[in-house]
Amino acid sequence: MNVLICIDDTDNLESRGTGELATIMAKEIERRSWGRCDFVTRHQLLIHPDVPYTSHNSSMCFAADLDLANLDAVIAYASDFLRDESAVGSDPGLCVSVIDQLADPEAIIAYGRLAKKEVLNKKMAYDLAAQLDVHLSEHGGTGQGVVGALAGIGLRLSGNDGRMKGWLRIETKNGLASVGDITAQAPLGGVRTMTGELLAATEIVEVDNKPKAVLLDGQIYLMVSPIDNGDGVHWRTTPRSQLKKF
Amino acid sequence: MWLKDSQGKKAFRHGHVAFNQASQAAQVCGSFRPDVEEEWVADEERSCYNCRLRRWTAESFVCLSPA
Repeated sequence: MNVLICIDDTDNLESRGTGELATIMAKEIERRSWGRCDFVTRHQLLIHPDVPYTSHNSSMCFAADLDLANLDAVIAYASDFLRDESAVGSDPGLCVSVIDQLADPEAIIAYGRLAKKEVLNKKMAYDLAAQLDVHLSEHGGTGQGVVGALAGIGLRLSGNDGRMKGWLRIETKNGLASVGDITAQAPLGGVRTMTGELLAATEIVEVDNKPKAVLLDGQIYLMVSPIDNGDGVHWRTTPRSQLKKF
Repeated sequence: MWLKDSQGKKAFRHGHVAFNQASQAAQVCGSFRPDVEEEWVADEERSCYNCRLRRWTAESFVCLSPA
């Protein structure tokens, strides 16, 4: 069964990031043979004076393909892990949602989108989680992280929010690779321009050292922007500074 | 480059997309500490926008460095 797991508000200025904790959790789920995990995505939430956050406000989400029999074990492990590994002063929250059993996916997607625009609170999060039969729990501090953890599930489920944690490892020849070579090396939906067109496999792309990918239409895409450097190469991977909107 | 906000904190006066200024400020800052990779938004690693000690606000960011 397909499950989304999201955590929020686990760090402080000195600690490991929430994304690293999500990565560790995903690896441990696989190590224990509970299931297979997918990439981690980062989801930006509202920046507002009434929202408590350390330095940014984002949650981290990953998908897992689990046997139903392992679900309780995964939730117990993730809960203990957050309790033990979250930073002092943080307010960690955990959300686990069985996507195949979600009666009203649009409700959780709408909540996620709302969390990018409005100040939400724990009661709203717990009420919706109970209504949708989604696991939502807090593991220290004020537990405020449940707000973002639930939102992260909705945003990941929307398929149109977030950047992939880390960067793609793409071998190039002198910094260049064809779209066909890129998609052969990375599990991508494709290589896509910032205006939405998919590039053909024969197109050549100038690839940055640490290219980032984003979640669009339910798949991970490498984004490219036009260049005109006079050598017949018309595309380069979109710089990080232009991916902030994702 | 900086303003004092209503709480007396050092606020970056150029907003969210002044990449040159954010890079310049970080070049001369002794407290710069890179944030985790997934929170970087600038192309140059050494940028206030990529610093663990920047706290984003709706308009810009405030610097949490004690210096």
